[in-house]
Amino acid sequence: MYHIELLPNSTSHITPGWTYVPDPGFDPAKAAITPAIGRKRGIRDPGGRGDLSSRENNAIIRHLAELDRENHRDVQIPIPVKQKEPAGRGTRGKTTTNTRRILQSQKTFRNHLDDEEAHLSQTAQTTASNAPPRLSTKPSARRSSTPMTTPKAESTAKQRKQSSSSSSAAAQQQQQQPQQSETPAETPKPDTPAEPIAETETEPPAKKQRLIPSEYDNDPLLRSRIPSAPSERMMQALLSEPPLSYNAARAGPPVTKKAPRFFCCICGYWGKIRCRNCHVRMCGLGCYKVHEDSRCGAFL
Amino acid sequence: MGTTKPRPPAKSSTTEARARSLPEKTFIIDNGAYTMKAGYAPESLPSEEPLSTCNTIPNTIAKTRGNRIYIGSQLNAQPTDLNEMMFRRPVEKGYIVNWEAQKEIWEHSFFDEKTVRSKEFRIASPEETTLVLTEAPNALPVLQKNADEMVMEEWGFGGYLRCVGPSLNAWNEVYSLFGDPISQKPDAVVSPAECLLVVDSGYSHTTVTPVYKGQPLQRAIRRLDLGGKHLTNYLKEMVSMRQYNMVDETYIMNEVKEAVCFVSDDISRDMERTWKGNRKRDQPDPGEGVVVDYVLPDPNAGKKGFMRPHDPLLGAKKRKSVLSGEAGAEALSEDVLVLGNERFTVPEILFTPSDIGMKQAGISDIILQSLSVLPPGLHPVFLANVLVVGGNALIPGFMERLQTELRQIATSECTVRVRCPEDPIRSAWLGASRLATNRDELKKVAITRQEYQEHGSSWAGRKFAGAV
Repeated sequence: MYHIELLPNSTSHITPGWTYVPDPGFDPAKAAITPAIGRKRGIRDPGGRGDLSSRENNAIIRHLAELDRENHRDVQIPIPVKQKEPAGRGTRGKTTTNTRRILQSQKTFRNHLDDEEAHLSQTAQTTASNAPPRLSTKPSARRSSTPMTTPKAESTAKQRKQSSSSSSAAAQQQQQQPQQSETPAETPKPDTPAEPIAETETEPPAKKQRLIPSEYDNDPLLRSRIPSAPSERMMQALLSEPPLSYNAARAGPPVTKKAPRFFCCICGYWGKIRCRNCHVRMCGLGCYKVHEDSRCGAFL
Repeated sequence: MGTTKPRPPAKSSTTEARARSLPEKTFIIDNGAYTMKAGYAPESLPSEEPLSTCNTIPNTIAKTRGNRIYIGSQLNAQPTDLNEMMFRRPVEKGYIVNWEAQKEIWEHSFFDEKTVRSKEFRIASPEETTLVLTEAPNALPVLQKNADEMVMEEWGFGGYLRCVGPSLNAWNEVYSLFGDPISQKPDAVVSPAECLLVVDSGYSHTTVTPVYKGQPLQRAIRRLDLGGKHLTNYLKEMVSMRQYNMVDETYIMNEVKEAVCFVSDDISRDMERTWKGNRKRDQPDPGEGVVVDYVLPDPNAGKKGFMRPHDPLLGAKKRKSVLSGEAGAEALSEDVLVLGNERFTVPEILFTPSDIGMKQAGISDIILQSLSVLPPGLHPVFLANVLVVGGNALIPGFMERLQTELRQIATSECTVRVRCPEDPIRSAWLGASRLATNRDELKKVAITRQEYQEHGSSWAGRKFAGAV
């Protein structure tokens, strides 16, 4: 299988008219422009109704953004102006450049988060370009901007990448240092069963000597399933780990898949039927009538 | 910057020894997105009323219809016109983002002698005060740096500790809460609980933090991006669609939510009880007890909103009394929201976020997700010590539901105990005040003003991250 690789040099991007760009996968912002619905949907995803269409996805994203709002309308509430200069206190007179910069900053959390992501992906990229070149084509810093992604696998993959890259690059962020030093004592990754290590860490021989041997000792049915507590050394290693990034700490999708529930958009009872025009759920014909008369298509 | 105050030389020689140690007084601010919980820590552990010095202040600048501005605690004094109140909050997603607004609220609530509620709540001299400031877990480093610089350079506190809010709960007396024998003597130094799984369900989000000996296990902290704000907005949206347009009434809808919402232990049963199709003539209403009326506040009459049992014949009664002309004007003017399945489908999204199409897991699943990255030897002890704090813990049925769901999905060998402290909102503050009485422990983690001036804010950031 062949692949196209963009070697990192200074001339590759100045060709007029076209360029290689990393493909970030599903982008809700672009999907909104060309929604992938229509008659051909049945051909494109023959699996049927298993996955949400991008239009439904956008509706959900918009709804979540709506729920996240502070006020229904955008308002500017200014800080009330003080008449009197607060000269009463001695320390009030001084402001450092730092505090002045912070106080004047109008950045929102979104801006800060974007900065942080860019910073993280940049450090990942610079370390990747120092590493063997096959890494450079990977979309290493790929992070979706949707508020509901980042399953656990991605975060652990990133962790692994951080620790591997920290060994290659000398100049690193301070927060990666403890992790690098702790790698030998690190606990196993979530996808590998941790029991063997936990058992070797605590000292079982001392306990076993005191037990009275009997013929049922090796009976698998009688074995206690509760694993022993980890050692103090392992706890110290766990405690000294740096915090995860904001996105990595977001909880993943449910492990146990339950059937999705739908609610009637009119009365809130179970959504048993769908409007054939706008696919909104309704509980029955009574509510469908209301929906059809008033707001069919209004909210999607 | 010509006004830079020179360090008084006479003072510095005497304060040399003192500056190395933390100031005696400790002021604690649990800086939530909705309310700040703030106050001086008591000198020693009081036997009764440990929360008497803790003050709950709305962390917001609000604007009324008439363009009047209220800051922080002025809202507690109940402005008469709550309709269409707009809010500006310095804390976004649980983190202090806008320091311009936060400074104004802090000045108003803690520093300015004209506006601080009483002398016990005022920080008269920050130089002689240690500040304990909480932050939500997994904060962005740049926001942490901003906070450190503001605290140390704008106000110049003598001592400072910034720590993850949920982990402070471990300092509380949780043994009696879980019914364990108290292992330490009452007069011994306060120490944190060994293992505690803190579920903090607040205004902006819900976090799960396993705390080991007072320190968070960073790799296992997980966050659900749903909190009280989303519940209020969701209820507001439903009511606006089905009954009155309430889209601008965030404050009122928050009160409605606090009054009526509950977590159902059997959602399909409650759903059937509230369905209009199950209501039959000549039979008792199945929605009895579930469907309620909420009488909206009336600013003109100065009346507050309240909940009462649903009266299905209210409309007919009203019409009748109009015809006979015997009813008072007040009964006619009152506006009523009828709340049925909204009462439990709203808090339900914390347990089943897929109800609103969110792809994240519910709280109980997140607890298991968090534990899955820890050694299995720790699972039993964390599952047996689940502490729920934050405002959403006050929703009736929340504890029972979490206990049931967790019991169902956890291994059968483990005991599952879910508890809620007496005051879940001020629990982190209380924990911090107990930490403050343990001077040795506080000295280990906090920094002094002198240390900050020597090493700078990036060092302070590393120190609070435990890297120094």
